[in-house]
Amino acid sequence: MQYKLTRIDPNTPTDQQYPIGQRGNVDDPMKQQVHRNVFMGKLEDVLNAGVNWGRKNSLWPYNFGLSCCYVEMTTAFTAPHDVARFGAEVIRASPRQADFMVIAGTCFIKMAPVIQQLYDQMLEPKWVISMGSCANSGGMYDIYSVVQGVDKFLPVDVYIPGCPPRPEAFLQGLQLLQDSVQEERRPLSWVVGDQGVYRAEMPSQKEKSRAERIQVTNLRTPDEV
Amino acid sequence: MTADTALSNSSQDVAQDGIVAELYAQFGAEAFTLQPTLIGMPVVWAAREQLLDIMKFLRGVPRPYVMLYDLHGVDERLRMHRDGLPKADFTVFYQLMSLERNSDIMLKVALSEADLRVPTVTGIWPNANWYEREVFDMFGIDFPGHPHLTRILMPPNWNGHPLRKDYPARATEFDPYTLTMEGQDKAQEALRFNPEDWGMQRRTEETDYMFLNLGPNHPSAHGAFRIVLQLDGEEIVDCVPDIGYHHRAAEKMGERQSWHSYIPYTDRVDYTGGVMNNLPYILAVEKLAGIKVPARVETIRIMMAELFRISSHLLFLGTYLQDLGAMSPVFFAFTDRQKSYEVIEAITGFRMHPAWFRIGGVAQDLPKGWEGKVKSFIDWMPKRLNEYQRAMMDNAVVRERTKGVAAYTTREALEWGVTGPNLRATGFEFDLRKARPYSGYENFEFEIPVAHNGDAFDRGMMRIEEMRQSLRIMQQCLDNMPAGDYKADHPLTTPPPREKMLQHIETLITHFLQVSWGPVLKANESQQMIEATKGINSYYLTSDGNTMSYRTRIRTPSYPHLQQIPAVMRGGFVPDLIAHLGSIDFVMADVDR
Repeated sequence: MQYKLTRIDPNTPTDQQYPIGQRGNVDDPMKQQVHRNVFMGKLEDVLNAGVNWGRKNSLWPYNFGLSCCYVEMTTAFTAPHDVARFGAEVIRASPRQADFMVIAGTCFIKMAPVIQQLYDQMLEPKWVISMGSCANSGGMYDIYSVVQGVDKFLPVDVYIPGCPPRPEAFLQGLQLLQDSVQEERRPLSWVVGDQGVYRAEMPSQKEKSRAERIQVTNLRTPDEV
Repeated sequence: MTADTALSNSSQDVAQDGIVAELYAQFGAEAFTLQPTLIGMPVVWAAREQLLDIMKFLRGVPRPYVMLYDLHGVDERLRMHRDGLPKADFTVFYQLMSLERNSDIMLKVALSEADLRVPTVTGIWPNANWYEREVFDMFGIDFPGHPHLTRILMPPNWNGHPLRKDYPARATEFDPYTLTMEGQDKAQEALRFNPEDWGMQRRTEETDYMFLNLGPNHPSAHGAFRIVLQLDGEEIVDCVPDIGYHHRAAEKMGERQSWHSYIPYTDRVDYTGGVMNNLPYILAVEKLAGIKVPARVETIRIMMAELFRISSHLLFLGTYLQDLGAMSPVFFAFTDRQKSYEVIEAITGFRMHPAWFRIGGVAQDLPKGWEGKVKSFIDWMPKRLNEYQRAMMDNAVVRERTKGVAAYTTREALEWGVTGPNLRATGFEFDLRKARPYSGYENFEFEIPVAHNGDAFDRGMMRIEEMRQSLRIMQQCLDNMPAGDYKADHPLTTPPPREKMLQHIETLITHFLQVSWGPVLKANESQQMIEATKGINSYYLTSDGNTMSYRTRIRTPSYPHLQQIPAVMRGGFVPDLIAHLGSIDFVMADVDR
């Protein structure tokens, strides 16, 4: 599997554009370690998998919403959809206690510096889900006050399409984030191993479900309930 | 007002309208230019020098114009069809509402580009404050005498005035957005609150005030809304709401979308209101096009709009009680919303933003079996509402937190432009569905719930009662759904009926043009006000004889509701503010558009 490596330099110049940190595509770092030392490597592999398993099953979302998508996100949190099934029901009002942030809604130029500050206040490990067309790309708002996609300044892990996406789509996005967290390679501590963050290049969902999608030939007519 | 009466409202009728005659008697007929429009109220142009006198006269006239309903501007520089109108580069318009007359008047002031100044009317209607700031922000028009004329929607360090015709609309016409650490610091610094700018003191002899910044991201702020509180202990001495974190430029967007393709943007203005937002826009366009829709269309529209009113009020109820500290109601309310979405999805095919109304009709006919879906929802809701009333509104904690909190009188409400359930909570029975029926509301039996204290509790109760009335209206739609077509037989109906396309090449070309370029509407102006989920919402459309609107003005109810907050909250406590914010029922897209 291919990984994207992020390394933060504490002395980043202030005129550097967000998202900060060096990025590059690399091979699985765990493979090299296993190759170097089979015993310690395997142990680290198991430890990593265990830690990731814990992380992915208790993702605490940050209570942050911008527009319409936030209503659908909240719908996913309430009884009919019950996000607690995926261990992500502990909404935090403080970014310092949250694990991931859902950019649910339109990202405005007036709001962008505020979003960046809230993101910076979250502690590592942290992830970003971009929910809905506006956050993904600006969507139908190609207009002076709107940033054309939150990935212009934040590193996004999962994009959820839709305007707004259904709550089920949000839940699927959450599961995709969990899958990606499971594959991640992070330092187990600040003294153990490489201090870079390796994010797995997850397979494109569009390509994955293409065959299934093109097999559909009959669509239900809307004339009947 | 129905489409018929609005269409027959020519300038002759308007001149005989009481208020125009009164104005003529007071200032002389030569002081005014009467503009014939389809707006359904007298539209008079007056000179800037006389503006304040005329405004004071209208405010003081017997059966006065108590509410400044709307105030905004138009960039007239590129407008082709302005025959008989005073020469103007920019216009500022004022819509005043008289509740005793149950009629409105629109005043317009022409300005030349070299001298963009209009005297402020904040001394007559306090809610002119934000509107004038917005006109300044969007057009660069100065209002001498305004207490605090600064940008309101755009960031303080913004360049240019976006609603001017020479300002680019698209983000992709500018350089791609980037953010650096330096830039972030600068932007954050520009947002820093400076009490002196607002004439506030940092300390008196007895006390040092604390300035608390609430928002733009706060769980109780219902989106990107910021309010800065000047606190003496727990008491709010003063506060300053700060908006503009949710400005999606829906008005500018109207100037580049065709009449038809603008419909989805209306859904996203009051984003909990769904097709309720389509209604005023579609009705205004139909006035311009001269379309009269079949009874079936009117009834379908009312049924869907009322369903969305219930869905929106349920969201209100859940979050309002959650803001008061009750955790469980939101789960119950969202379960009910899910039920409403089952109906909405079955009929429209989408959940929040169906964009389902069309110029001259709706997107498609009701599907087979819709009755069962609607019926099961109508059967489900009443007992739930009773339960909410018993379990939540009778709850001692909720009552203590909201009774007598953030109360205001009818007079204060009108002064600040408050409409909808929040106005009716003060004991004033004014509902556009009754007062000026549109889209066939005159055919329905329902009551207007009113409360008496105008406090946070009453505003909550109002919504429960309104949901009951909406269910009543839906029941009548279900029982008496007229047969007939779901589209008007009119050349401007969009998309046009398909059967008319397949006759010969000429009809095919016409169909193609109308679908690709969109319908062309004759140059004129029209407006439609409706009783939306949160108050009175209206679209004021100016057509210049094109496929697109020349100017789209969206008057939303939440905007004045937020502007009123400081007037209500001075002397209150912080938890009262949270209760008040919960009880207003606003979404930021409905404020900033």
